Amino acid sequence: MASLAKSRDFHRLSPVWNVTFNLIAGLFSLACVFPFLFVMILSFTDEKTLARNGYSLFPEKWSLAAYEYIFKAGDQLLRSYGVTIFVTVVGTALSLIFISLFAYAISRKSFKYRTYFAFFAFFTMLFNGGLVPTYIVTTKLLGLQNSIWALILPLTVNAFYIMIMRTFFSTMIPDAIIESGKIDGAGEFGIFFRLVIPLALPGLATIALFSTLGYWNDWFNALLYIEDPSIVPLQSMLMRIENSMQFILQNTNNPSLGMGVLQSMPQDTSRMAMVVLATGPIVLAYPFFQRYFIQGLTVGAVKE
Amino acid sequence: MKALGRHLKDINRNKAMLLMVLPASLWFICFSYLPMLGTIISFKEYRFSGSFLSSIINSKWVGFDNFKFLFRTDDAYIITRNTILYNAVFIFIGLVLAVAMAIVLSEIANKRLAKWYQTGMFMPYFLSWVIVGYFVYSFLSYDRGMINKIAVTLGADPTQWYSEPKYWPLIIVLVFLWKSLGYNSVIYLAAIMGIDKSLYEAAMIDGANKWQQIRNITLPMLTPLMTILTLLAIGRIFYADFGLFYQVTRDSGTLYSVTNVIDTYVYRGLKTTGEIGMSTAAGLYQSFVGFVLVITSNYIVRRFNKDNALF
Amino acid sequence: MSSTRKKLTFGLTSILAASLVLGACGNNKASDNSAASGNGDKGETVELSWYTIGTPQKDVDKVMEEVSKYTKEKIGATVKMTMIDWGDYNQKMQVLTASGASMDIMFTASWAFDYVQNARKGAFAPIDELLDQYGKGIKETLDPAFLEGSKVDGKNYGVPANKELPAQEVWRFNKNILDENNLSFEGVRTLESLEPLLKTVKENNPDVIPFQVDKNFMPYVPYDYLIEKFPLAVKLDDTEYKVVNVFETPEMKQALATMHKYYKAGYVPTEAATLESSSDVQATGLWFADKATTQPFADNVWSTSYGYPIISTPQSDALVYNLSVMGSMQAISANSKHKEKAMEFLNLLNTDPVLRNMVDSGIEGTHYKKVDDTHMENLPESKNYDMPTFSLGNVMLTYLNPGDPDNKWEEFKSYNDAGQPAILLGFNFDPSKVSTEIAAVQNAKEAFWAPLMTGTVDPESYVPKAIEKLQAAGLDKIMAEAQSQLDAWKAANNK
Repeated sequence: MASLAKSRDFHRLSPVWNVTFNLIAGLFSLACVFPFLFVMILSFTDEKTLARNGYSLFPEKWSLAAYEYIFKAGDQLLRSYGVTIFVTVVGTALSLIFISLFAYAISRKSFKYRTYFAFFAFFTMLFNGGLVPTYIVTTKLLGLQNSIWALILPLTVNAFYIMIMRTFFSTMIPDAIIESGKIDGAGEFGIFFRLVIPLALPGLATIALFSTLGYWNDWFNALLYIEDPSIVPLQSMLMRIENSMQFILQNTNNPSLGMGVLQSMPQDTSRMAMVVLATGPIVLAYPFFQRYFIQGLTVGAVKE
Repeated sequence: MKALGRHLKDINRNKAMLLMVLPASLWFICFSYLPMLGTIISFKEYRFSGSFLSSIINSKWVGFDNFKFLFRTDDAYIITRNTILYNAVFIFIGLVLAVAMAIVLSEIANKRLAKWYQTGMFMPYFLSWVIVGYFVYSFLSYDRGMINKIAVTLGADPTQWYSEPKYWPLIIVLVFLWKSLGYNSVIYLAAIMGIDKSLYEAAMIDGANKWQQIRNITLPMLTPLMTILTLLAIGRIFYADFGLFYQVTRDSGTLYSVTNVIDTYVYRGLKTTGEIGMSTAAGLYQSFVGFVLVITSNYIVRRFNKDNALF
Repeated sequence: MSSTRKKLTFGLTSILAASLVLGACGNNKASDNSAASGNGDKGETVELSWYTIGTPQKDVDKVMEEVSKYTKEKIGATVKMTMIDWGDYNQKMQVLTASGASMDIMFTASWAFDYVQNARKGAFAPIDELLDQYGKGIKETLDPAFLEGSKVDGKNYGVPANKELPAQEVWRFNKNILDENNLSFEGVRTLESLEPLLKTVKENNPDVIPFQVDKNFMPYVPYDYLIEKFPLAVKLDDTEYKVVNVFETPEMKQALATMHKYYKAGYVPTEAATLESSSDVQATGLWFADKATTQPFADNVWSTSYGYPIISTPQSDALVYNLSVMGSMQAISANSKHKEKAMEFLNLLNTDPVLRNMVDSGIEGTHYKKVDDTHMENLPESKNYDMPTFSLGNVMLTYLNPGDPDNKWEEFKSYNDAGQPAILLGFNFDPSKVSTEIAAVQNAKEAFWAPLMTGTVDPESYVPKAIEKLQAAGLDKIMAEAQSQLDAWKAANNK
């Protein structure tokens, strides 16, 4: 592996360009991280200070009230973390299998029906039946109401990822490798798992990353299908609070609502704390995928 | 009979591949094609009676009436123009910047730094549009916004950003790029990492410099991916990101001439009546136009290079 | 890692996954059947499923178990309550209803799972006969205006909660600032009469917003709107029942001009037209006056909730609008298999203090304890069962909290008795024939509504533009349709 990393050195950039590139990437990335830092600071800001002074990087008064509000839910929060992690791990694994198999098949020129199936998948990106029909299929036909599978299955396959993955397969897998596999007498599945997958790791990592983020951030399926509090995922729990906050704020002029409910509502800072709690863990998981983007692999390395 | 026999033989020859597409195909049938039957309500005045099916059957046919609200006024022109123009800009600039950023990241010598940069760029993806909206507001607010505070210290007059339409096309494009660039460049970065390094080695031996390598190896190798992603984006050119145009602009009425897009129009228009038939009709219209555009552009792509086409 | 093992795991998982999808696709029949055969109507106790709004509480099931014991004895029904959080309620109920899910009772209101809209679409069962047969108690307790005002096309579809009936607009003042400047709100009623007070505050308290206004603000004009925040209205004392565009009325024109004057004078926040809510300013207390809708003892409620004293003075009469009777209702689903039982339950809920307080405060001795006949006190456990009182039926049966005035409900009753019906009470516009135009007008209207209402833009030049835009979008057609519906209603009701 060490020699591999070295082998890239010979086409290094000139120092001037290297510095320029570092500046471009560094500054942009700073611009992207900055709001997040801001959100973190805000989540520790005293609510009144925030209301009076607006957003500030150096709040006059710090406070833990926002987190106290959320941790009032107690074990629910931990449970929700558990649900989210389970859904994300199982869902991503399933996604990878479904998507890569389909994408690989339609990437192969020898597959007679590849155009049909490509179209079959692509069509679903454009047309959809809308909320209610989907709800009916999932609950009545599949019977997934209040089941953890209702959080996993609706997101398992995605035509967009299939199309990306297909392109990875068709550009990155030389036909020669598949031919050599055939000569060795391997079956199609054998070729796929033994020869193709290792070569397609950057692509697979991309899809895995997107899928992980998709599962992690999903709250809508829980809104539709889950009423049992023991399987409510994290994002859904937090989005529910956020949506309700928004709803009540918009209806403060409504006399029925305005009188009783407002005091018990969480405030701006709790919203920020929610972002921090929901994003923290997944940001830490990011580097896991990253090594496949930065180091990459060479065909030679795999062949060895 | 003979044709059937040949057909069966074809199936038999392709059975491994068919087995591979089977799981996802079943998924598509369950989660996409079956619900698609529901679009029929875009031609109905949907009223509840019993189950969904009997409601559909009992609702009255209204032909294309549900589509009319999309074309009722001058707004039809404005929302179509805004939606298409913004998306065109997003697709084009987004593509150029994402590829450029991927190349930049892949060429940075210090891999650890590159990793940090990349993680950073991904952060906006985690922020919902509501939060992004708050954040933009902290810059653009009239009396507390950073930009106006700076303007005032420099002796300039503060601007009421949320009532000046002329700035917003730029703001929207910037916010969009800021939020999506990290995500999109990952795809290209992964593609670059998948390029066979022996190609570069060969080019080195031929004496090609860095720029020549990028132009002659990296970019051509990325072309299929760029084509596919662009085609897919064209398919969604009639869809706008609701949150970007609603939350980030604080739903400011004065800005509608440059911020009203199809999705926000439908949302505002159906708030009072809540007609499911009309919202389904709007979705169908968006899909249909996208579909026609994709088929056309796919046809053009096929004429140049069959392998780069979607299907 | 050996590649065979990897292969094996991979293969197994994919088979597992495929069979899972297959199995899931296949088991439809089974689940359908169980749903159908589950609740046989054999004259046994029925379970009523009740969907209501509010943050889901931990102890709902526990409390409903107690409630069920009680209701089983009284009416032979048990209750299963599902709470859906504020922000999700609209969407979730929309999907549940459209998919024909089986529900019995659901919360509805003008502002959540829109009552009129969904009644017209057939989501709710008409309850007129049920009320006569099983809901006598409801009819006796409710002020007739409640049922009158919530009629949709002549029929009732929901049981309004007995609570404050009329709506009255008030000016609220931050008392600290009022006192500090030695001001008095005597003689203040119209928008214009606020001016001297605002001026003083502006001069003396530069940090304070004299007149807090956000994007939801509308100046009071003596008109009754046909649709909430939609420019069609009828003047309150118009015996002809003529539908007009509010922007063309002298009252609205004057109000907008005054607002613009206030805006230019700096009394109103610069960004009022895009300000989502006033909660920030209310938290800091750096405001002087604003507009709100009142009810008995409202000043106390506001003062405790903000943490500083608030006092208010009326700017309009107390009138009963359609919106005010539709603030909180329970409807019976059109799909319900137990409509009679559901009505019996609603009747009990609205007349029986034991049941009503159990639903509201939980189990006595666990969540709350009674202090005397009419007062109760929350126990620490009440944090697991904290319900929005106003959304669960007759409010006036609930026990008083410590600190509530003893005559609280008497005051509510006399406040309700004093309220006069507004002109359109009982008339609900049916937009289905003009929904295309409404969609277009909504978009045209939203573009200038908040800027005009908050005074941000000059009505001199904007109002004509607005009227033109509204007409281009089809306002006249809506107006004509509304007028013909209103005329028919007027004739039918001998107004």
